This record gives sequence, C-alpha cells and structure tokens, in this order.
Amino acid sequence: MIRHDCLELLAARMTDQLVVTSQSGQRIEWSHLSKHEGNLLVGMMGCAVGIGMGLALALPHRQVIVLDSDGSVLLSLFNLATLGNLRPKNLIVYVFDNGVYSGSRISYPSATSGNTDLAAVARGAGIKNALTIRDIETFKRAGLGALEQKELGFIVCKVEESLMHREIPRPNTDLAENKYTFVRYLERTEGKAIPFIGRG
Amino acid sequence: MKEELAKRLVQGLKDAGINFVTYLPETRLSQIVPLIQDDPEIDLIAAASEQEAVTIAAGATLGGKQAAVYMENTGIYVSCYSLLAIGKQLGVPLLLVVGYLGGVPDQRNSFLYATIGNRTIPVLDGLGIEYMVLEDGARLETKINDAVRAANALRGPFALLFAGEFSV
Repeated sequence: MIRHDCLELLAARMTDQLVVTSQSGQRIEWSHLSKHEGNLLVGMMGCAVGIGMGLALALPHRQVIVLDSDGSVLLSLFNLATLGNLRPKNLIVYVFDNGVYSGSRISYPSATSGNTDLAAVARGAGIKNALTIRDIETFKRAGLGALEQKELGFIVCKVEESLMHREIPRPNTDLAENKYTFVRYLERTEGKAIPFIGRG
Repeated sequence: MKEELAKRLVQGLKDAGINFVTYLPETRLSQIVPLIQDDPEIDLIAAASEQEAVTIAAGATLGGKQAAVYMENTGIYVSCYSLLAIGKQLGVPLLLVVGYLGGVPDQRNSFLYATIGNRTIPVLDGLGIEYMVLEDGARLETKINDAVRAANALRGPFALLFAGEFSV
C-alpha cells in the first residue's frame, strides 16, 4: 500500500474537517493534494497528535483528523495513554507506518519494523477502535469508514517506503502564515473570535 | 499554600480568561486542581507528559480557548521541545503556571530540588520565554492578567513561577 494513494482517497472525502499533519512525507504529500484552509501543517515530529487532541477537545462538534507517521508516534507514545482515557469522539489519527525513518535518507528502521505493533499499543492504552490496515481495499472500507463513526479512531496504515514526497514541490507556506490561515478559517466557520488574535 | 490563596489563584486565572487547563500534578500548587475540577467554566485535561500538556493546550488555543499549562518546573525541562517547536516557532500563546521547586524562594527547598530550581530561569531565558516569579499574593490577580495579556501579545508562552507563600 502506498501512502499517497491513501491520502488521495482521504482528500476526496474532506469537507469541513480540520486536518493536522506532522513533519514527515505526508505533510508534503497532503499539502500537494489538499489546499483546504482547515489544514494545519505542523513543522515538527511528535506534536501533531497533541495539537489534534487539543483542537478536538476545544471544538467537540468538529471532526479533527491527524496524519502522522510511525516515527512521530514513537516519539510521543504518551499521547496514546491520554487518548485512551479521553477518547474524543471527533478525532481520528491515521498513522502511515512505513517502518523506517525515511527522512533520515538512510531508511533507518523504526521500532515498528521490529517487534512493535502500534495498534496493539494503542489498544493497550485504552483506544478501542485501533486497527492495522495493510491493503488499499481495506483502507477504502475500514480506513475511510472511520470517518463515519462517531468514535475515536487510531488507524495504522502499513505502507511501503515511498519517496514520492521528494518528487513533488514542498509547501512554501510559512508556519505562521499557515497558522493564521487556519485560525481565520476557524473564526469564519465557527463564528467566533479566536482570543489571541486580538486588536492591532 | 493557604486555601484562600489557592482560591484567589484559580479565580485570577478565570478572570484573565483562562478556560482550558492541561496539567501534570505536582506538590506546591496541587490545591488548585480540585478547585479547577469543580469549576464548570474551565476544561481540565490530565496529560501524561508536560510535553504533551503543551501540545494539547496549543491545539485548544488554536481552536479558540485561552489555555494554561500547569506543571512543576521539572516539566519545563521535559517540554522544552514542544515549548520551542510549537509555543515559540508556531507562535501559540500559553500561560505556564509553574510550581517553582528548588528556587531560592521555595520554602520547601532541599538538595532534592535545588539543582532543578537553579537552572529553571536560565532555561527559560535560553528558550526566550518571559516569566515572572511570584512569592506572595500581592497583586496576584493583576499579575496573572498581565501574564495572559503578554502571552497573547507575544504569541508565545509566558511563565508564572510560583514560590514563597505558594510553596508553603
């Protein structure tokens, strides 16, 4: 299964969801596939699930999607315990698990290429709807199906190491620019002022 | 800390607009946790790591909440990465409510905490995070309000370090 294929299917299903991507190839691929103002492209690893959780808790009526990687989730495994206890019904975490630190450019294997099963870790942490998907047909059914469930989802997508993100243009949107676009979009669609924007 | 001071601290947070708090409990300010828990106007979210507490609070801020992170100062060390990557680099206002263990004004200071306290302010300086040290209840509500306003204006974290009467 190729990550870009999954993201392409996911992008076609997006309406007003908020999508948080961690720093990895999926950030580049997603920014290429979706120009939606509800995308927040987080520029660092290990932070997207926490930010997605905060958004989901602050806006419980809004569906929040996190696009993450095995390396990023391994960097912040404590998120799983918190997620497993809070279980926000409006949050889905897709983990594109290629089993390597692809960004290292030496494809150094991550723990998930060894004995670590992230979906099993998530279940042990208390996330009921945690599953592993290994082929695109199952992704179409169960992966996209999670969007219709009113339940916290933790979907581990086992993907091949793909270097497609190195062939497509990297997003040139500054982090602050992306943040303000995202926050202004929220102000408009939620009909409320975001406090920190304030007056000039 | 005296119960009255804990109540003033929580009321000060509310008056400054704080309506979302993530935390890991610690010893010096722990009386504020049940007070916040009982307050329907503040969401209280227990985190498993201060690094996570910072990212959850940042997400809530971007979603329209005025968020604070309550932690021990050891949590500053744990959360350096997310304070810098999300708080500073992305520019997300956060009020850090910090039990300042091991600082000179910590009334329960000992060899257990002194090294931690000794390096807290240099680390905040290194991160470029502004702070105030609070040793008593004088103008407490004003100082909390000033800190929230500064965090919003700076688009970043601002730390309140509680010691002195707060650490009794």
